[in-house]
Amino acid sequence: MDGNPSSASEGAVLVPARTRGRPWGYAAAAASGFLLLTVPVWLPDRYVLSTFVLAHLYAAMAAGWDVLSGFTGRENFGYALFVGTGAYAAALLSTRLQFPLWCTILAGPVVAAGLALLVGGPALRLRGPYFALASLAAAGVLERMTLLLWPITGGEEGVFGVPPLSLSAATTYYVTLAFAAAAVGGLWWATRGTWGLVLRAIRANEAACEACGVHTFPHKMGALLLSATTGGLAGSLYAHVQEHVGPSVYSAALSVTVIIMSVVGGVGTVYGAAAGGYLLTLLSESLRRFGEYRLLVFALALLPVVLYMPRGVLPHLLGHLRRRER
Amino acid sequence: MADVLVLGAMQSAVYALLALGFTLIFGVGRVVNLAHGAFYALGAYAAYTLVVVWKFPLLPGALVAVLFTALVGIGVDRVLVRPVRRSITAVLILTLVFALLTEQVLYAVYGYTSRNIPAFTTATWNLFGVQVPGQRVVTFGVAAALVGILWALVYHTRTGATLLAVAQDREAALYMGIDVDRVTSLTMAASAALAGAAGVLTAPLLVVSPHMWLLPLVKSFAIVILGGLGSIPGSLLASLVVGYAETTVSYFVASALADLIPLLLILAMLLLRPTGLLGRHVEV
Repeated sequence: MDGNPSSASEGAVLVPARTRGRPWGYAAAAASGFLLLTVPVWLPDRYVLSTFVLAHLYAAMAAGWDVLSGFTGRENFGYALFVGTGAYAAALLSTRLQFPLWCTILAGPVVAAGLALLVGGPALRLRGPYFALASLAAAGVLERMTLLLWPITGGEEGVFGVPPLSLSAATTYYVTLAFAAAAVGGLWWATRGTWGLVLRAIRANEAACEACGVHTFPHKMGALLLSATTGGLAGSLYAHVQEHVGPSVYSAALSVTVIIMSVVGGVGTVYGAAAGGYLLTLLSESLRRFGEYRLLVFALALLPVVLYMPRGVLPHLLGHLRRRER
Repeated sequence: MADVLVLGAMQSAVYALLALGFTLIFGVGRVVNLAHGAFYALGAYAAYTLVVVWKFPLLPGALVAVLFTALVGIGVDRVLVRPVRRSITAVLILTLVFALLTEQVLYAVYGYTSRNIPAFTTATWNLFGVQVPGQRVVTFGVAAALVGILWALVYHTRTGATLLAVAQDREAALYMGIDVDRVTSLTMAASAALAGAAGVLTAPLLVVSPHMWLLPLVKSFAIVILGGLGSIPGSLLASLVVGYAETTVSYFVASALADLIPLLLILAMLLLRPTGLLGRHVEV
């Protein structure tokens, strides 16, 4: 891929017109970064902080989902495969083998990436509903395996007594915030240039990419590995935050939550997906009295977005700002 | 050996019922309907409510339950699927959300305890030297009859012809004056009714519980993927394969492993031959 990636003809089709929106984008990023950094100062409530910890993790997962699925168009309906594997790796290593904390946290992404290498080869040839169903089934296989291998995994009950990330709520908050910032920032940085363009081109027309001399497989694999690593790390942090891991980390409900967050926030932009993660986590926590009907809230949030803002809430709003500026 | 042959046939008939609906709505509407298992659960719960709670006689209760699922199918098609039909992701998400919501509503209404429906008949039959409970025979007979009726409807009636036309080329069908949206809704209704019938027929054999949607959905997938997405003969063939494979494994090895077969089958099939045994490649 040489040549100028931002030349007008290519950019018009593949890149959401974002270059000109940069000032607004940077201002919004700086403002939200500042707000998130100061949350423990003006809301030092343990419950509020734990909600934000979840939001950090979900934002990172949504960004991680986006880098594969939003960019290359391989909609992963089994993202829980990576999250769950990271969570179980951390939980089992720390409770059964007493590994130190930093070791188990790093084990999550390593194991998830290993799994991605294993399944990526055959799975990435698929697309559309075939990829979606294969990923859904893959997460389902592991969910069944945790039940079948109950002597190791604890079956339905899961693994209890995972050591906490930190006893201080503020430390937990900042560690997960740092992870979310690194994941979202890193993935955004990785996909903002030529490489992001290649990934979008794969979604638009894979055969044309190959015809232009771009061997697409390493790019798809790279996106999958980044996606899996982010999910695995989010999973191992989740295990240490919740101090418990159960089969629900492999559930279709988790996968679909992450997808809805990305789609509502804005697919194919990384920052949009992350914003969706924050938006929906905070929204669903503020609607806690609806309890189990949280998914209904998500579905209701999803319908108007899919129908009226197909690019997602954040890109839609940024687009409006940009138009008014002109 | 005769055990496996007889029980496998019965298992396969139920699977065929489930898988046909799933493949039908994909073929006609290009809809991968993750709510298919929810229709199955709704059928079973409707039958439970009508027959056990409201004391309906068995046959009308079962028929009303199937009709109810068909109506729910039409509702799902109109409200959730039709507005976003062009986006396969949105369809997958919304139908999956519908399934998860159905589960939550069933938990809220019926609680966590599983329910039972009395068997349609308590007689025991002797088939080829195998003692078979009458309920299984009824399930098999009705399922096989429904599959036969569906086959006749699709391949030998005018409505069936419009359905096949829409499946073949949606736009061309539209140009020929076929009300494409109506045909899709009708297919969804038939598909939901078949799933609901499967729910009603198997409810007396298994227990009725809110999370009963997932396994049938996964099995429908496995069968449809094996036979080829959208192919009716392929699905029938694959129902036999999966039905007998599961029966064999649970008979000779362990029944806990039987549930893993469809999942592994999906993975293997998708990775080796995504178009299935009898399917052809479809652009979606």
